[in-house]
Amino acid sequence: MSNTRLPILRPEGNVPESSRLGGDENSVPVLLSRLDDSIGFFEKNLSNALGWARANSIFQYPFVTACCGMEYMSAMAGRYDISRFGAEFPRFSPRQADLLMIVGTINVKQSPVLKRVFDQMAEPKWVMAFGVCASSGGFYDNYATVQGADRVIPVDVYVPGCPPRPEQVLDGLKILQSKIQSQRHRAATLEKAPDVDMQSLAGKRRSFLGKLLGK
Amino acid sequence: MSQALIDLVREKFPDTAGSSHRGDEVVNVRREQLVEIVSYLRNDAACDMKLLRDIVGVDLLTWRTEMTGGGALASNEAPAYAVQNKPRVEPRFYVAYNLYSITRKHSLRVRLDLRSDDAKVPTITSLYRTADWWERYVYDMFGIEFTGHPNLQRLLMYPEFQGFPLRKDYPVRKRQPLVPELDFPDLIRGPGPGPGGAGVPMSQTHVGRQNVDPNTYD
Repeated sequence: MSNTRLPILRPEGNVPESSRLGGDENSVPVLLSRLDDSIGFFEKNLSNALGWARANSIFQYPFVTACCGMEYMSAMAGRYDISRFGAEFPRFSPRQADLLMIVGTINVKQSPVLKRVFDQMAEPKWVMAFGVCASSGGFYDNYATVQGADRVIPVDVYVPGCPPRPEQVLDGLKILQSKIQSQRHRAATLEKAPDVDMQSLAGKRRSFLGKLLGK
Repeated sequence: MSQALIDLVREKFPDTAGSSHRGDEVVNVRREQLVEIVSYLRNDAACDMKLLRDIVGVDLLTWRTEMTGGGALASNEAPAYAVQNKPRVEPRFYVAYNLYSITRKHSLRVRLDLRSDDAKVPTITSLYRTADWWERYVYDMFGIEFTGHPNLQRLLMYPEFQGFPLRKDYPVRKRQPLVPELDFPDLIRGPGPGPGGAGVPMSQTHVGRQNVDPNTYD
């Protein structure tokens, strides 16, 4: 057995704060102290356990505004049975829901309502855009329609289709589950749950967009 | 049968002009006579048109231009500022009342032409209760004012909305969000018109749409 310790690349979320600070992304992680290592071990396992629990007990709030609602009903009902994946209960109160499903077109007049519903949901919370209208406005490229619900609230997973088949919804749910599982979860703290940092993401992507458009 | 209806109206009101559009009988009326004629059509036993099917507005701004019918104007490629260089159509608007008689099974369209500098119509809410919402709808979409209407407010759009969306000179891409939009990056549609996207007109972020006038669009 060799004494040299091989550097283990961990998902960023499981590396303790102390070892992440000041590090360059491409460099080999600094050697962990025994304390950091053990904290990381507990954090990782706790995070995995919480992620497992949260990913498999998604209570959704269906924000149904349009014809995608029929496919939502189909995905809920016995044949496709979304409850196989733990998304058992639609909670018709946003305060009890984990997942906001935006099922259908969001028009400008409705957007304050959607934002309010999202704000009423307790952390941790996720959002699924169900169908092209919720994802991008769809073919309603007009004065009355919000061009994608992500213009109003942050969206985690987009399910395309007009309307999407129930299989696509289940696929989107499983993608969301794997996303939840890989996120960093903590025991109850006063801190806000990890979420997409819209500002920094926007900054990064815009530079790419700028390059694309020659700006 | 419907031709007989036009004859009936023209006999009573010689000022009107009858015509037929794709099988629908149309009678053109003047604004001063509108309420009188609609009242006659509703109450006269020979007409008995108790059902107001709808009231529609039409904007003829791009009618018989190169962008005939407005379909081309609604596409992404047509520069909207070209509208300014087209001959203006006057009277620009018209309002059409589609009436139907349930007992006699005949229908008639009453058409009223309006100049753009005087787009006002007397209300017929005293004759048909359903005219209340139809007139609010036409006001909402075209900005045609119905004088005497009890509650002339927007029906579909929100009160903060500026302008009239179905007018042909309303910018196709103009958006008026109610909540500040997140500047979520979108490679296809470009940054949103929210605070983060300010400075880059949404129209200019579209591939193939660089030729539009940024002052015309949002």
